[in-house]
Amino acid sequence: MAMAPAGGRARTLDQSRMEVLAPWLAGEIGARRVTIRSAELLAGGAVQENWRIEVEVEGGQRSGRHTWVVRTDAAARLALSLDRVAEFKCIAEAAAAGVKVAEPIAVCSDAGLIGAPFAVQAFVQGSAQGRRLVRDPDLARFGDTLAQEIGEQLARIHAIRPQGGKLPFLPHPVGNPARRIVAELRASLDKASEPRPALEYVLNWLDRHAPQPRVLTLVHGDFRTGNYMVDGGRLTAILDWEFCHWGDPREDIGWFIARCWRFGNDEKVAGGIAKFASLLGGYNAVSDVKVTAGEVQYFEVLAAARWAAISLLQGDRFVVGGERSIELALTGLMPPEMEFDALELIERIEKGAGR
Amino acid sequence: MMARGKDPAALIGLAVETIRVELQPALSPEKRYAAAMAANALEIAMRAVAVEDEAIDLELLDAFYEDGDGTMRQLARDIRSGKVSEASHPDLRRRLRAHLVAELKIRNPRFLASRGVKA
Repeated sequence: MAMAPAGGRARTLDQSRMEVLAPWLAGEIGARRVTIRSAELLAGGAVQENWRIEVEVEGGQRSGRHTWVVRTDAAARLALSLDRVAEFKCIAEAAAAGVKVAEPIAVCSDAGLIGAPFAVQAFVQGSAQGRRLVRDPDLARFGDTLAQEIGEQLARIHAIRPQGGKLPFLPHPVGNPARRIVAELRASLDKASEPRPALEYVLNWLDRHAPQPRVLTLVHGDFRTGNYMVDGGRLTAILDWEFCHWGDPREDIGWFIARCWRFGNDEKVAGGIAKFASLLGGYNAVSDVKVTAGEVQYFEVLAAARWAAISLLQGDRFVVGGERSIELALTGLMPPEMEFDALELIERIEKGAGR
Repeated sequence: MMARGKDPAALIGLAVETIRVELQPALSPEKRYAAAMAANALEIAMRAVAVEDEAIDLELLDAFYEDGDGTMRQLARDIRSGKVSEASHPDLRRRLRAHLVAELKIRNPRFLASRGVKA
């Protein structure tokens, strides 16, 4: 859900703040001393800053040289997103469940320390650029294997359940999780400057057809191409955990295969990288709750509706908020695309047509 | 006919051509993307000035409200409440789809082509 910043961005990690960060890190990881050898602002962070730091740790369990990333909190967070500390706890829980993530090192909720709340995680090799990945000339060779591994990883995320008091800060859903999302989307439409009758129609359909979840699990909330790192055709880490919540696991699968996240590589249903069967095969090999392609169709419609509503609100940052960003302006014009796809999907579902 | 110099669509078209042909190739890859977005925004504006935006909405609204009484906000509200539904208007989905196609002809004709719809 990364959007371009409207104007010039503040540089959070200047020399004076690094001098504060190093001893704080030492305290957090139980080291005698931490020295930050270098810090480099990474490209791609749009609403937050990502700094790659080379550190030398003396003493403690992490003694040695490391490459870590300092991720600062966004100045303006999207509604419903977790703060940096809550996101960090979700990542730690996922890591413990065997999910490939950038290893969480430390987190700080105090905005005063370096200018914004931040988390420190291990640096992971690879690229998360979806548009580039779906056009990789070697995709035919590695795409299906990658999708299978992504499916396996998603099943591990969905193995995290609220039972036992895990992640207690995540609200327990009241009622049907899909209907709750519909209610949230309607509430966000009420704040939008542009009325969207077609989207209201789609939301009514989603409300009427919401399936009961078979199990309640951790849902990543933004699981899609562009939010995982790939290096040499292999998955290295799953990113962007700020939309984690308890819900219906099929929501993540529907989001992953939504047409808007195939970056134009439409025939490769699994995130523009592979056939859907590869993703589902990997998922069902690991998951204790098997999922069929047919039951995901509803969640594909939900994904299209959700992205339409988000696009509308992003556009309002330009239309209403006055942010001078051409990316925001163009995003705000996208809802008819998702609405069109949603209507086509509904038509197919009602005709009983498969994929 | 409007003189080309005063025709907003023609002027915007010229600006797009200048960005695409003269500026983009000379830019760094990062700036090229920003230039492509700028050209895209101008193309949308060019198509929008050629079509009465309100005419698209009115064509949809005329199917549901008499004498130009309705607004898009009213229609959105009436669909949510169920006042306008397939029970009252069996062709509701078809009309909404037609409206989206009309919008997309302005906003993103390439999208329509990718969905097999003639723009």
